[in-house]
Amino acid sequence: MANAFVATFEILSFGAIIVLIVLGLGIIASMMGIFNFAQGEFVLLGAYITYLAYARGLPIWAGMVAAPFVVGALGFVLEALIIRRFYAAPIVAMLGTYALGLIIRESVRGLIGGFYLTVPEPIGGSIDIGSVHISAWRFTIIVITLLVMAGCYLLLSRTSFGLRMRATLENPSLARASGISTPLMYGATFAFGSALAGLAGALIVPVFSLYADLGLRFLIQGFVAVMVGGVGSFIGPVAGAGVIGTLSAALPWVMAPVVADVLVFVLAIVFIKFRPQGLIAGKGV
Amino acid sequence: MLKSMGAAKQAVHANVGSETDVPVAKSTSSGRKILPIVEGVVLVAALLAPLVLQDYLTVFATRVIILALFALSFDLVWGYAGIMSFGQALFFGSAGYGVALLARDLDITNILLVLPAGTIIGLTSALLLGGFLLLGRHPSSVIFVSLGTLTGSYAADRLARGWYYLGGQNGIPSIAPMSLGGYEFTEGPAFYYLVLGILVVVYLLCRFLVRSQFGLALAGLRENEQRIAFFGYKAQHLKAIIFTIGGAIAGLAGSLYAFHEGFVWPNMVGVVVSTQVVLYVLFGGSGTLIGAVIGTVIVEGVSFWLSDNYRDVWPIILGLLLLLVILFRPLGLISFVLGERERVGSFGAKPKEKRNAAP
Repeated sequence: MANAFVATFEILSFGAIIVLIVLGLGIIASMMGIFNFAQGEFVLLGAYITYLAYARGLPIWAGMVAAPFVVGALGFVLEALIIRRFYAAPIVAMLGTYALGLIIRESVRGLIGGFYLTVPEPIGGSIDIGSVHISAWRFTIIVITLLVMAGCYLLLSRTSFGLRMRATLENPSLARASGISTPLMYGATFAFGSALAGLAGALIVPVFSLYADLGLRFLIQGFVAVMVGGVGSFIGPVAGAGVIGTLSAALPWVMAPVVADVLVFVLAIVFIKFRPQGLIAGKGV
Repeated sequence: MLKSMGAAKQAVHANVGSETDVPVAKSTSSGRKILPIVEGVVLVAALLAPLVLQDYLTVFATRVIILALFALSFDLVWGYAGIMSFGQALFFGSAGYGVALLARDLDITNILLVLPAGTIIGLTSALLLGGFLLLGRHPSSVIFVSLGTLTGSYAADRLARGWYYLGGQNGIPSIAPMSLGGYEFTEGPAFYYLVLGILVVVYLLCRFLVRSQFGLALAGLRENEQRIAFFGYKAQHLKAIIFTIGGAIAGLAGSLYAFHEGFVWPNMVGVVVSTQVVLYVLFGGSGTLIGAVIGTVIVEGVSFWLSDNYRDVWPIILGLLLLLVILFRPLGLISFVLGERERVGSFGAKPKEKRNAAP
């Protein structure tokens, strides 16, 4: 019983991490039609900023709060300078964002060297429920993920900003005719997606420690999750991330980890092949 | 002065006046002959290289030639058919692993067996993956194909890392050299010329292929897939065919690479090598076969040259250059010397003079 509870918690917390990472990726992919290969590097940057704050002697919380804002601002600038030119051609966008990611990743690698740097958990220790102990920080990640998801959903579905964003992304020319500044909305969407990646990086760095290929590790899982969930809505990628994250964490409990690792990808690709629209089809929030 | 003006006038006259007199028009509209010159220069340079290079540089040059062969396979798929294969290393690496296993477990190193075996491994895996991703009732989106190949390559990487039989993280070390009868191909000029010969043969075959009617259909596919489908071509089948051919060439390159380096390791099937080959081709110029070769030589050469002092900075510079090329020179470095018209070229048998006259 206790074992099953621990397993469930592990699966949940890994699922939450994947959801957190995919949120930003999914918003950019669904709303702008761009598969952002630099998203993993935005995650890396968020982690790096948290580490910097820690290394300078600031409280880790400060770094975690700063990370989404800094990365979001960077995303806004990059969108205005570079990404904007790629909207017409999705494949070129992939290559361009890949180049951007390469630059960011290698710069960070140069700054931290080839090391694995650890950042302590801001909330250490464990929560004890009877005889089982679960990591307090992982539990916090689950809670924050739920809050962020709810916040994004409310932002997109209930505010006028969300309405304008969805209008821009669904029909740009009509949105322009209605007086919405579409370039600004694209910039804001991209910045928002980047900021979520920065937040994800800041939150996961105590769990995974900081190294240059941190973002790359999650990028492909993130893409697969977005495709499984379905491009075009907010809910789709989140659902896909939940499925992929849960499967990746749950399968190794029942079979050899190597087989499980590969099986997740194979299953996902086969699923997408026969259901290209994904789990949740259609527009909407 | 006057005389030259007169000559120019005459040329214009010849150009405008007589539609039948095409050779004159052809020679005056210069730029029709650059591609063969570039190809010839590259070939001569490649032939002479081992004579002037030191031994260790010849080994390096051999590796570059093998990678150029690999780049050719990606260029065929992306530059000519418009399929973004982000997982080309899957075929390269699985062929490498395949021949490494042949050499390790079955002691087969005969060149006449291992190279065809590697090619067939590449061909089969490309046929399976390409067939699955490309064929079907609904045509797949370009995004799905590119992410599907990327995922395939990533999954293969993870598999190679975790599977004890394949050597795990360390890969398969110390593969026996290729042999032909009693002769063993070790690193050096002999291996270099062998690889160069293979590259030239494959290059010529590819050149024939992309200039044939099949190549014309491919070019149409790249430019406007829907229109080609309306013309009655089976667009998905064409894509699957070229994808498979690309896989076979990548497999050939992979088996050569495994024997040249003497070991295979998980990166060889993974995302790292897959993206590297994309870099080569984008730099050199996709859609021209020679562009892929030149891009490989430049990227690898500069990287080798900088490796002593600027090892850490080089990937950043590479990223910046790539971004600049994508933004401002989407056709790659080759487009500095090669015009658009020559890049597209002509197809099929030599056209009749009349047909070629129309610009």
